[in-house]
Amino acid sequence: MRKLVYILFFTVFATQAQTQMSTQEAAALKTKVKALASTTQTISSDFIQYKHLDFLDNDIETSGKLAFKAPDLVKWEYLDPFKYAVLFKDETLFINDEGNKSNVDIGSNKMFKQLNKLIISSVKGDMFDEAEFTIEYFHKDKTAWFILCRETKNSPNTFKLFILHSTQKEMLLK
Amino acid sequence: MRYLLISICFIFFGCASFPKKNNFVATTVTSNISNPYFANPNQDYIYKANIEVYDNAFGGIFIVKKIGDQHHRIVFTTEMGNKLFDFTFNKDDFTVNYILDDLNKKILINVLKKDFKVLITEHLIAEKTYAIAYKIIKKTSLDNKTYYYFESPEIRKIIRANSHKEKVRFLFTNLNDNIAQHIEIIHSNIKLKINLKSITK
Repeated sequence: MRKLVYILFFTVFATQAQTQMSTQEAAALKTKVKALASTTQTISSDFIQYKHLDFLDNDIETSGKLAFKAPDLVKWEYLDPFKYAVLFKDETLFINDEGNKSNVDIGSNKMFKQLNKLIISSVKGDMFDEAEFTIEYFHKDKTAWFILCRETKNSPNTFKLFILHSTQKEMLLK
Repeated sequence: MRYLLISICFIFFGCASFPKKNNFVATTVTSNISNPYFANPNQDYIYKANIEVYDNAFGGIFIVKKIGDQHHRIVFTTEMGNKLFDFTFNKDDFTVNYILDDLNKKILINVLKKDFKVLITEHLIAEKTYAIAYKIIKKTSLDNKTYYYFESPEIRKIIRANSHKEKVRFLFTNLNDNIAQHIEIIHSNIKLKINLKSITK
């Protein structure tokens, strides 16, 4: 997955050039997101996932619904072009693959554990862990951008780049 | 004496060649084999896959791209996008670009390599041609294995067999503009079934 970039669009995208935020702006944004996240009990959102593979002409586009319930229940449900849902609950991943149900113990699965952590921390607004990510903050018109880069030198199966952006008005949560 | 006759019959039918056992009627060779299903370099072939292996079942996304003449890339990921394996077929060369540690078993890789090579090989020489009902069956060889291609006139079925018995069956259904919307690969000697449904847009 070295060259694979996940782009998770939680809200709308803007088209204008981006500018880097000042330290004060970034700090204010961080505080605001954390404050909002701490009072959030549930979130539901549509998502579109674009998977990029260098050798393909087009990204693979899948879409569905994301649901979060505090403190750490996440349901990630693909609806198009196939039906597939995963529910992260405690140390178990419950899978519904077009009606075929199964579960995976994520306690022993590094890949799912990381994915779960990433989803929960991002929806909770708790992803500003500078020890884990190199973080840059950008403006884009009225859209606030967060770009979180992760070191993946010896680990081809982890996320190289995690991009999250949202309008300042909606601020992370739709 | 009766048992001897039964035994002789049993040996006779048991040893009958695969075409004979299946009542294929030999005809004259009309043309070679042309497999169009993964032959368009301008097409990204994306399938939702379900794999049943022994008592385990798991799914994922199966991606095939023709990147040149006799040159294909095949990638399998989870539904969420994590790569499970990544193979390159370039003429007679086969490269494992990546495979998840849990799947990195030589036997498994060889089975997958053989199956996928059938999917992507476009041109094969028909060594013998048979007919049955309205189907034309062409016998060919790929990497020293014998295959029977069932055409009506599109390729609907491929069977890999040894001299007597079916080993693997490939079924292509719901054909649309040289894309098989549904592909099944069913092994009869091991419990392995691969089910592919096109999600190509």
